[in-house]
Amino acid sequence: MSSNNSKPDLDDSINVAETHGRVVREAAACAREKRIADNGIAPISLWAFVACGVVLLVAGGILGSGGRLFSYDSTFRRDYVRTPAGGAEDAGAVPKEALAAYMAKGAKIYSAKCNGCHGSDAKGNGSTFPSLVGSKWVLGETERFSMIILNGLEGPLEDGKTYGVMPPQGIGMTPEDLAGIMTYVRNNFGNAKGDVVTIEMAKAALEISAKRKNAGKSVNGVELDADHIKALPGDVLDPKTMVDPITLAPATAAAP
Amino acid sequence: MSSASPTTTDQDALLRAGIDRSLRHPVMFFMTSGAAWLAVSIVLGIIASAKVHSPGFLSGCGWLTYGRVFPAHINAFIYGWGFQAAFAVIIWMMARLSRKECTAAGLILVAGHVWNLVVSAGLIGILSGNGTGMPWMEFPAFTWPVMLVTYFAIVIWSFIQFRVRPEGHVYISQWYILAAIVWFPWVFLTVNTLLHCLPGHPVMGAGINAWYKSALIFLFFTPVALGAAYYLAPKVTGRAVHSYSLAKLGFWSLAIIAPWAGMQKLTGAPIPYFLPYVGAAATALLFVPALAAALNLLRTMLGNPETMSASPSLRFTTAGLTGLLVLAFAAVVLNLPDSTLPLTQFSLSGYGFEILALYGFFTFVMFGAVYFIVPRVTRREWLSRRLISIHFLFSTYGIVTIALIALFGGLQQGIGQEDWQVPFQSAATRAYPYAVATTIAWIFILISNIFFFLHLTLMWLRLGRRSSHPTLLAADHGHAVSPHGEEGDIDNAGPGTASAAH
Repeated sequence: MSSNNSKPDLDDSINVAETHGRVVREAAACAREKRIADNGIAPISLWAFVACGVVLLVAGGILGSGGRLFSYDSTFRRDYVRTPAGGAEDAGAVPKEALAAYMAKGAKIYSAKCNGCHGSDAKGNGSTFPSLVGSKWVLGETERFSMIILNGLEGPLEDGKTYGVMPPQGIGMTPEDLAGIMTYVRNNFGNAKGDVVTIEMAKAALEISAKRKNAGKSVNGVELDADHIKALPGDVLDPKTMVDPITLAPATAAAP
Repeated sequence: MSSASPTTTDQDALLRAGIDRSLRHPVMFFMTSGAAWLAVSIVLGIIASAKVHSPGFLSGCGWLTYGRVFPAHINAFIYGWGFQAAFAVIIWMMARLSRKECTAAGLILVAGHVWNLVVSAGLIGILSGNGTGMPWMEFPAFTWPVMLVTYFAIVIWSFIQFRVRPEGHVYISQWYILAAIVWFPWVFLTVNTLLHCLPGHPVMGAGINAWYKSALIFLFFTPVALGAAYYLAPKVTGRAVHSYSLAKLGFWSLAIIAPWAGMQKLTGAPIPYFLPYVGAAATALLFVPALAAALNLLRTMLGNPETMSASPSLRFTTAGLTGLLVLAFAAVVLNLPDSTLPLTQFSLSGYGFEILALYGFFTFVMFGAVYFIVPRVTRREWLSRRLISIHFLFSTYGIVTIALIALFGGLQQGIGQEDWQVPFQSAATRAYPYAVATTIAWIFILISNIFFFLHLTLMWLRLGRRSSHPTLLAADHGHAVSPHGEEGDIDNAGPGTASAAH
């Protein structure tokens, strides 16, 4: 055969035409296959280098944005806070009018602490639990109202009627909670006092409650009449002031 | 190399035909059962996707809740289809490139059955509620040692063939296939040991799991697909690979970069600081090996554009390499830690990225390899040009839709999730139309793959065309002659007859 480096081998005895026929029949696909040529030696084109270089820069930027990568004092990036969507940066919660914000807070506390006795309509049951609707003690002086909430109440009310004993609700109550519940009851269930018991006033109420003569005991009508028929100290807040609905602090941002 | 005499060519062809014959059953077994699992996986994917937008769909059946169907879908895809397609390609291609017949076809076939059994058992485990809950390794824990042993039983012969090959030259495809053969057990053993045998802190466990997903894509599926593409492009076009240096750059950059990628999914989690950032940077850098390989192969094929468009193998390979380029671009764009990463970290995008890698790139190249290998191992030509075209078009439409949805829908969903002043439901509302489109796209892909499976099964039953002309996708353009060759040009007229000799 024409091969330069052909070696004698067993295939010499094969009938070439017959072999070829067999190849064509049995290996048609293989016979028409092309050889895999030697590898090309084209150089790497410049733009491929440029593209890879750009990606290297991007990757470097990604690494760089990690900050101190090998700081083991903190295991993760503390300020990795998911970025709010556009327009919502640093806004915090949407500010609300003070009255609405205080009442929203109070509503939660009412349903947790007051609902069970005074009922969801605050009308009580007329025997054990008095109605809060139109009550002079609710709508009257704020200090008296706050003492009842914080310390509980026993004995006859000013109308002479004796209801059940109200347990104190002040344990664990924050000034925000107290301000919220007072504002809520004074402006809901048909009550419409229209003013806001501020956090400042509620703080004062907590102080007054702690300094009572018989602190830790429930108040009664006599004590209330003697010591607490006054408004809580503190500046009056315009119910239309915008406040943060979570902290109840006056909001600087404008309404949305 | 210097000789082109008829005898050596014939001997060469006979040797290749012998190799093909020795591997016929394992290769066809892996391909057909892989294609069947692919169809199963897509059905499960449709159910899972439908539940995203219509939660009431099939909700009465506990076996088909989203938490079970979705992992079943992705695990059937990976271990049912992905691995079996990879096995078929690895064992055939390594035998061909090492010029060695396979002597262990029976053993491989047995191991292949075991693999299928394990996949079935694993899926039943997931659907019955016994999945592990670790993404991509939801199969119950007893499966992984069996899978590892089975894996060795299947690919060890390819490794041996490589060791005893007659020639010294190592072809580019062999680099990639060898790398995949070695990398997978490393990844699989590491991850399973760390998660099942030596479980550490659960947050770190989630990181290891994220690394596993990335490593499986870039250290197993990618090298297998690139090995196949580096074989098909020069083989079918008859041209040399465009640039050897580019190929080296692509291989070594993949080997160096890919093991670092993956942990960026844990950005913001309490794991050591550098892990997510190195992961994000490495994932972006995977652009380099992807560009090198895709550029090299597309340049090789573009030298012969008619062949590229007419050959089913090359058409699928080209689509797959385009998918690789898109994947590489997405890897850069989706991993910017201060902008896109938070938006896409918990959205549709992650799934889209994975499906783009597994289907848009890997599966397409595997289809290309299947269309090349099957006529050789069965010695029959593909039955229908039209079936191949349908398979190609429906798959392409489906995967393009899913990729677009992943990018845009994922960003939309991410924006919805980030907007913490509105109810979380708004994220779902934003993702809703994209979820519907995903379901429709999967239905397209299912249709195409049912045809593919039937076509493949007919080929295994040796019902393909008995012709010496390949099935090409060339358009008729009013030719008098069929693109499959002249009428009556089939080889069963008898040995050595005029019609048999081309």
